[in-house]
Amino acid sequence: MPINTALTGLLGVKHPILLAPMDVVSGARLTSAVSNAGGFGILGGGYGDRGWLERETAKLKEVASAPVGIGFITWSLAKQPELLDVALSAQPRAIMLSFGDPRPFAPRIKDARALLICQVQDEDMAREALDAGADILVAQGTEAGGHGAARTTLDIVPAIVDLAAGRVPVVAAGGIADGRGLAAMMMLGASGVLLGTRFYASQEADGAEEAKTRICAAKSGSTTRGIIFDMSRNNVWPAPFNGRCLINDHARRWMGREIELLQNMKSVAVEYAAARTAGNFDVAAVIAGEAVGLIHDIPKAAEIVDRLVTEADQIMLGRRNSATALRA
Amino acid sequence: MWPDRRLQDLFKTEFPIVLAPMAGAIDADLVIAVAEGGGLGSLPCAMLTVEKAREQINIIRQRVSAPINMNFACHKMIDPDPVREAKWRERLAPYYEELGLDPAAPIDAANRAPFDEAMCELVEELKPDIVSFFYGLPGPALLARVKAAGCVVMASATTVREAIWLEENGADIIIAQGAEAGGHRSMFLTDNITGQPGTFALVPQVVDAVKVPVIAAGGIADGRGIAAALALGAAGVQVGTAYLRCPESKVSAPARAALAHDDSTVITNVMTGRPARGVKNRVMREVGPILPDAPAFPHAATAFAPLKAAAEKLGKVDFTNLWAGQAVRLGREMPATELPRALAGAALARMSKLAG
Repeated sequence: MPINTALTGLLGVKHPILLAPMDVVSGARLTSAVSNAGGFGILGGGYGDRGWLERETAKLKEVASAPVGIGFITWSLAKQPELLDVALSAQPRAIMLSFGDPRPFAPRIKDARALLICQVQDEDMAREALDAGADILVAQGTEAGGHGAARTTLDIVPAIVDLAAGRVPVVAAGGIADGRGLAAMMMLGASGVLLGTRFYASQEADGAEEAKTRICAAKSGSTTRGIIFDMSRNNVWPAPFNGRCLINDHARRWMGREIELLQNMKSVAVEYAAARTAGNFDVAAVIAGEAVGLIHDIPKAAEIVDRLVTEADQIMLGRRNSATALRA
Repeated sequence: MWPDRRLQDLFKTEFPIVLAPMAGAIDADLVIAVAEGGGLGSLPCAMLTVEKAREQINIIRQRVSAPINMNFACHKMIDPDPVREAKWRERLAPYYEELGLDPAAPIDAANRAPFDEAMCELVEELKPDIVSFFYGLPGPALLARVKAAGCVVMASATTVREAIWLEENGADIIIAQGAEAGGHRSMFLTDNITGQPGTFALVPQVVDAVKVPVIAAGGIADGRGIAAALALGAAGVQVGTAYLRCPESKVSAPARAALAHDDSTVITNVMTGRPARGVKNRVMREVGPILPDAPAFPHAATAFAPLKAAAEKLGKVDFTNLWAGQAVRLGREMPATELPRALAGAALARMSKLAG
């Protein structure tokens, strides 16, 4: 039975499952795979690389047979606002803005008749997004991989659902990787979920194979949130944002020694950049969230969507006891 | 319909909802209210003497025939370090002066004792239906005696590794305590405060890792949260913060007011020496919230006793533990006798609504 929510109606999609616009990882291939499977793929516009954006949006036109979105890091987009026009010219169903004030961009998005999705980490950001005319709010908990803030999914999702009070659908993000998570977020009042790490470990993701393998092998508790990796690549974000990724040798070396890292930033940055180029993930970060312990394989994105919907549907119908049946 | 009845079968309660054993906030009154309301009442014994614990259980049993959970801590007692203690007293001396207290006056040591021979004898005497432990489990000999007394054993885990350890060492039920939880975190195989996963990331991973029933704890204070926890595979939930402002709780009037007005919480180690989540009080703001050289648990708490008493007389909560979880804004003022049924009803309504 399809899970119909305010979100699926608004986006015109079959399943209330959104792909997180992961920088580099959520390319045209993964975005179209999620959308073509009935979810909603969101291209990872990230910090804004014009060449990449033009190439991937062109590719989307060929491979996506269902609506897609394009996401940006808001404070970074503010440095080259013309990229929004590149994105809008691809006629996405929605633009997703995360981390920063969406208001300067909202009018152009609305004029282009795209929906505005805003990711928020607290009530003040949610109010700002609603003022900007957000059509959909994504409430992101600290469990999420990549950049985020401090409050957990269980805390922030109902808080934003209450604040939105039915005016716009609320999507839950952070720590969700299976149908149990989708069902749980529906119970909390969300209209859908946004997943990053689970889709990173998919065949169509543009991340390194080694990174995907590390996500599958990672056990619960093997991520950390902080600024070590942002410092190491000379890219510290505005407060309150920091990032979650797998704990690797580099993280172990610097955790709790951030001041020393700051003092050695130059030499560390050189070492870190070289490791990124070489794909050395003992040093370079694999961005992943706390649900990493629930991810054990690298299927096609369509299979991930299908599993999520099937499991969640059975749990919600009471046909499946999530405590015992999902282990198989 | 509850998707999983294992806890009701084990507890013989109407609802799979456990009162979190919040030491300092709970005595017989709240345990009785929750038991009458269909939940599992929990008596925190870590700060009680054997005599006081017996008295409380007797009061409860005179009033209700429902099953009871006695909760104990299993930390290793560390002797106070005189140098650290002196530095700590010095750090807090300005507060003593402000309140007209003598910083050099002797104080009774903070009374947070681990489960021991004497408490084990009490368990054997009282035979509570359930015994729950914090900070791991007691040694095998003591645990065997608790089990021989017929008690179901619950224990709290903050990571998957701790959950597996607890199951291997004899826990019958695992409480998966996420980062949202108020009060002390039960971490015992790690001291990495920032590594504790959120409840909703932790619960399904613990459910996958152990065979025994899992109770979700941390940030759950309404029907939505309960329904969500069950969807994740929890057999039930442990709820604490939601009860703090019930008339039956032992939370003081000024602390209640603070809990009603401040909805942001942080994790601190300055109040007791172990990390715990609460609403920020003055000392957490000015000294903490995290101070690496605070005295070890529970010795950091010792120096606060006179400060707390003096400040509370003035209606201030500057030195009072305002333990509360991230769900503090969902706290209710309704009678605790009605809360389990209200929570269960809301959870069941949510589940049946989504079942179409």
